[in-house]
Amino acid sequence: MNPITFFWLFLKASLLSTGGFGNLPYLHQDLIGLGRATEADFLTAIAVGQLSPGPNGVWSISLGYLTLGWLGAALAMLALSLPPLLALGVAAVYNRVERWQGVQDFVRGLSLGVVGLTLAIAYALARSSIADWRGLAIALGALALAISKHVPVVAILGLAGLMGWIIYR
Amino acid sequence: MQHLSDRSAPLTSITERIRPHAGLLELFAAYFWIGIQSFGGGSATLFLIRQACITRGWLDEVEFTRAWALIQIAPGINLIKITALVGYELRGWPGVVAAVAGLVLPSGCVTALMTAGFSAVRDVPAARAAMRGVLPATIGISVAIAAQMGLPVLRLARRESNRRLAAHVLVLVGAALLLAVAGLSPALVLLAAGAVTAALLAVLPSALRREP
Repeated sequence: MNPITFFWLFLKASLLSTGGFGNLPYLHQDLIGLGRATEADFLTAIAVGQLSPGPNGVWSISLGYLTLGWLGAALAMLALSLPPLLALGVAAVYNRVERWQGVQDFVRGLSLGVVGLTLAIAYALARSSIADWRGLAIALGALALAISKHVPVVAILGLAGLMGWIIYR
Repeated sequence: MQHLSDRSAPLTSITERIRPHAGLLELFAAYFWIGIQSFGGGSATLFLIRQACITRGWLDEVEFTRAWALIQIAPGINLIKITALVGYELRGWPGVVAAVAGLVLPSGCVTALMTAGFSAVRDVPAARAAMRGVLPATIGISVAIAAQMGLPVLRLARRESNRRLAAHVLVLVGAALLLAVAGLSPALVLLAAGAVTAALLAVLPSALRREP
């Protein structure tokens, strides 16, 4: 596959979406349509993206690797890193209008909305990936440890992986 | 683009206070460590970025939540957006490059390596069992993040008035329901949350004296 076309597909998907998985529908449509990736490639990439360090959005770096090797991974990485710089422009605009009380209240509403969305997504994920009371116990244990701030996140996840291995093997 | 290079105006415009000095190497190293350590996807990463910003005094709790809300409007991965914003705030464009490269390079390389390895162990039962433990923990961590982002805003509202606190809770629960039950697009939900909050707060006076 032509690297420039490849880069453009990944850049376009990132420019037209927000959040880590927002680019999924675009890439799915384009790469499957062109016959450059399979459904199994997508499932593998999403699973790796969930486990690997960094933002969820790195899943498309995994897809880039599966589609075009190391060059694909590097191009996907670049395509993911450029569109977020537009956030600097959004912040600069905010800087000019923030003195209006209405704008401050609006942004406060955005904060509340983000918290609500985070809870709703956690609920949706819980319905699909918490199968029984033991899974729920792991989730609540992780919640308590994360709120306590005394245990590093990587240790929480390591412990959870160990619990999963003991319970479900 | 004049305003972008004007360092006297902080970009996140969250406060006018002086930011602590951060070297480019320190910025790169902080994000490199986050990029390597945050196994378990976005929730773990957000948790670590927030912790790093607050313990180093780069942003305080309210600033972080506001910046996180603001960047949702821009395209791309939210965690990279907030990383770029913090980098710019502290060190301008070189700071953006240092912070974003620090976050993306190690996690991208590890992701590509794991892709190569994961295809091989995908059907190994032990790997599948461990994964069944990791996923619920990821959910617990994202609820912790929601609590840590929401509580400072709700505490501020409680100081302003009980009616304002009720309005905040209404918007928060409403946003969750609009996504979970009505399945509206996240961007629409956020715009609605902002508009409803601005309208409600315009008619509900704050008991606190407004800052000059």
